[in-house]
Amino acid sequence: MKRQAIRAAGPRYAYLRGVLSIPAGFLFLLAALGNWQVGPLRHDLIFFACVVAIALAYGLVVRYYQDHYGRMSPSPGQQLRGAAAVGLGLVIVVGGSLLLRSQAGWSLDLPVNAIAVTFAVVMLASYAIWGVLHAHHLVVWGSLFLAGALPLWAGADPSNVGLVMCGVAVIVCGVFDHIAFVRTFGPRDLPAAGEGNARA
Amino acid sequence: MPAPEPELVLDRLIHEPGRLAILTVLASVRDADFLFLLRATGLTKGNLSSHLAKLEDAGLVTIEKRFIRKKPNTNVALTAAGRERIARHWEQLDHLRRWSEAVQPEAVSR
Repeated sequence: MKRQAIRAAGPRYAYLRGVLSIPAGFLFLLAALGNWQVGPLRHDLIFFACVVAIALAYGLVVRYYQDHYGRMSPSPGQQLRGAAAVGLGLVIVVGGSLLLRSQAGWSLDLPVNAIAVTFAVVMLASYAIWGVLHAHHLVVWGSLFLAGALPLWAGADPSNVGLVMCGVAVIVCGVFDHIAFVRTFGPRDLPAAGEGNARA
Repeated sequence: MPAPEPELVLDRLIHEPGRLAILTVLASVRDADFLFLLRATGLTKGNLSSHLAKLEDAGLVTIEKRFIRKKPNTNVALTAAGRERIARHWEQLDHLRRWSEAVQPEAVSR
């Protein structure tokens, strides 16, 4: 691995564990389907059972990465950048959605999909702040931004469709993140995991 | 032969490529376990183990052995001295690179 790749090992481990994005993406899809009250999801209990199943899947994926790629704790600087990305994300999603399309008197009320547009901006900004921005991020989040910014969204509130678009983008981005992760840290079975963690 | 400038004299303990990789990875995190270091540096288990022992003896890293989910786990972190020395080492390498870039055009023009 080259110097920059070695220096970026911490952030790459923290933010490119792409398989984690798959349950996260399904959470977006579940939210949209729940809002539409599709099939059994109209029952609160089933909806929450699906949320719990997604949380369990997320935990299993975390464990998969720990078992095969080890563990690390982020540096204070990295934690600060993570918190900055979350704070900026909240401001952009809430403020941007209200500004682009809402009932607020000062809203521009544009025919755009505000959730898709603001989420794409937040994700691009987050990957840049985390220091792990790759070409596939520009393609995935750029596509989501363009799809949301096209003036095709007049009429009914397009928030649920926006959630579906975000969910699909999160899953697709996760697949490419995992490919970038494997390119950095190697394939799953390189060292014999399990016994490989207790030397020195 | 004149004595080299002190800021150009590299720390041999750190300059070894395997140890340089380990310390550089550790400088980018708060702490990391053996498997993460194995993955991030691309070293073999034996090499990583022996380099870590040398770095621990030199007081540049601390090694904590623990159990996670009933499996042994070795956690490694830079000490304050280790953090200071790896930062200084990279400054020296950058300084050397700038110096060699400045010297090269002069040598070519002669």
